Amino acid sequence: MKTTVKLLLGELKRLIRYKILPVSLVTALLWFALFLFLSREESFFIAPLLIYVDSTIMVILLVGAFNHLERQDGTISTMMVLPVSIGSILTAKAAASMMLALSSMVVTAAALYFIHNLVFDYAALFLFILLTGVSHGAIGFFLALNTRNFSSMLGLLMAYIVVFTLPTILFTFGILDARYDKLLMISPSHSAETLIRSAVTGMYNAGIILAACAWLLGLTFVLYRFAIYPKFKRCGVRG
Amino acid sequence: MSTAFSVEDLHFTYPSSKTETIKGISFTVQEGEIFGLLGPSGAGKSTTQKILIKLLENYSGRILYFGKDIHSLGSSFYEEIGVGFEMPVHFTKMTAAENLNFFSNFYQNKADVQGLMERVGLWEYRDIRVGEYSKGMKVRLNFVRAMLNRPRVLFLDEVTNGLDPKNARIIKDMIVEYRSQGGTVFLTTHLMNDVEQLCNRVAFCVDGRLHEISTPRELKMKYGKREIKVEYREKENTRSAVFPMASIGENEAFLNLLKSKEIETIHSGETSMEDIFITVTGVGVK
Repeated sequence: MKTTVKLLLGELKRLIRYKILPVSLVTALLWFALFLFLSREESFFIAPLLIYVDSTIMVILLVGAFNHLERQDGTISTMMVLPVSIGSILTAKAAASMMLALSSMVVTAAALYFIHNLVFDYAALFLFILLTGVSHGAIGFFLALNTRNFSSMLGLLMAYIVVFTLPTILFTFGILDARYDKLLMISPSHSAETLIRSAVTGMYNAGIILAACAWLLGLTFVLYRFAIYPKFKRCGVRG
Repeated sequence: MSTAFSVEDLHFTYPSSKTETIKGISFTVQEGEIFGLLGPSGAGKSTTQKILIKLLENYSGRILYFGKDIHSLGSSFYEEIGVGFEMPVHFTKMTAAENLNFFSNFYQNKADVQGLMERVGLWEYRDIRVGEYSKGMKVRLNFVRAMLNRPRVLFLDEVTNGLDPKNARIIKDMIVEYRSQGGTVFLTTHLMNDVEQLCNRVAFCVDGRLHEISTPRELKMKYGKREIKVEYREKENTRSAVFPMASIGENEAFLNLLKSKEIETIHSGETSMEDIFITVTGVGVK
C-alpha cells in the first residue's frame, strides 16, 4: 500500500510536469466561462454532458498522451526493475486517472455552485466520477499501448468517439430515440453518462445504476488484467 | 566466494518468433567478478540479460541466483540488483535529482546519491531537466540510477557507449571499485576496450549460443602468436623482424639485432580481443 501511494504521488507529479493535469484544469475552466453565459436551466441541462466529456474523452486523451510520453522516455523498463509489483504500478496509474477525472469535476461543480447555485448529489457524483475516470483511463491506456505513436492513438480515439460517444451526445439532445437508451448502455461512455446524469439530476434507477457500475467495473478489470498488464510488460521488455 | 548466477541449458523463444533466440546456454557468474557477455547485435546477449533480470519469462532451463531459483524470487529481487539499460531511461521532463529521488524512494538500501553524482560530474547539473542533458550525461545518469540501491549484482548494457574517454575512464574506475568492494557485474558490450580493462571472465555469444568462456588473459595466450616483433632503423628506413618467443634469450639473431641496431619498437604477438572474437565466432564485432 505504501509503495502504491509513493507510485501514485509520482504519477501525479508527472501529470503536472508533463502538463497533463494543467490542460485538464484549463478545459474545466473553459466550462466555467461557458456557465457565465448560460441560464441556470441551460447550465443544469448541459452540466452532465460537460462533466461526462471531461471524465471520458478528456481522460482517454490525456491518459493516452501521458503514456505515450512515458513510452518515449523508455521509463517503463526502469519501473519494472524497481522492487514493486506491476500490479502496484498499474493500480497507481488507475488511481491517477481517477484523480484526473475528479479534478475537472471539482472545477465544474464549483463553477455551477458559485455561478448558478446548483447543488448535486456530490457523494454519488464523486463515486461515479471515480468509476468513470478509472474505466476511461483504462481505455486510454489500452489505446496508448496498442498504437505506435500519439497520432495513431488520436486516430483510434476518433473511431472510439464516433462509435461510443457520438450516439450518447445525439441521445442527450433527443436526436436518438429514448428506446435506444438500454441498448446504448453497451457503450462504456453511455453507461458513464447515465451515472453522471443520475447524480446531477438526483433521479436514480437502481437497476440501471447497478448495471452501469458493474459494466464499468468489469470492463476496467478485464482491460487491466488481460490487455494492459501483458502489453505493459512487453513494453517494459522492449524498452 | 559463492556463485551469483548459475545458468543451465537456457533456451528461449520470443512469442512472435518461430526460432529459438537462446539455444541452450550454460554459464556461471561468480560473486565478486566482472563477467562480460560479448557478441554482435542480435546474438542474444541482451535477451540473456533480460531473462536474468526477470523481464523475460517462459524460458526453459534453470537459473539460480545465489542458489535460489529466480522463479521463486518476488519483486524483492530488485532490492539486490541494479540495472543500467543501454538506452537512457529517465523522465525527461523531470530533473536528474527528481528522477533519482523518485527511484531511490522504493529501495531500502540507499546509496549516497550526492557522492555518486559528484563522481560522474553531474551534481552541479542535478536541477536541470533530463531532457536537456547531452547523451553522455544521460549515460552517466543511467549508471548512477543503476547504483542507487547499492546493488549486490550490477547489470550493465553498453555502459560506456557514447561517453568521451575521460568520463568512460571515471565510470570504469567506479565499476572496478565496486567489484573490489565485493560487487558482481554482468556486463554486455561490443566495446572490446571495456572488456580488456574490466572483465575477469568473458563469454562469446553468437546466434544464441555461447562459444568460448574464459579470462581475457587465457584467451590471449591461447589465440595470440608466441612471437616477438622488433622494428628497427636501418639506412634511414624502418625495418622489422619477427622471432619465436620460445628460448628468446638464446636467440642469437635477436640478441645481435638488439645490440647492433637502433630499436624503435618491440611487441609481443599478443592478439586483441576483437581478433579473438573473430577467430572464435567467425563473425566481426559490430
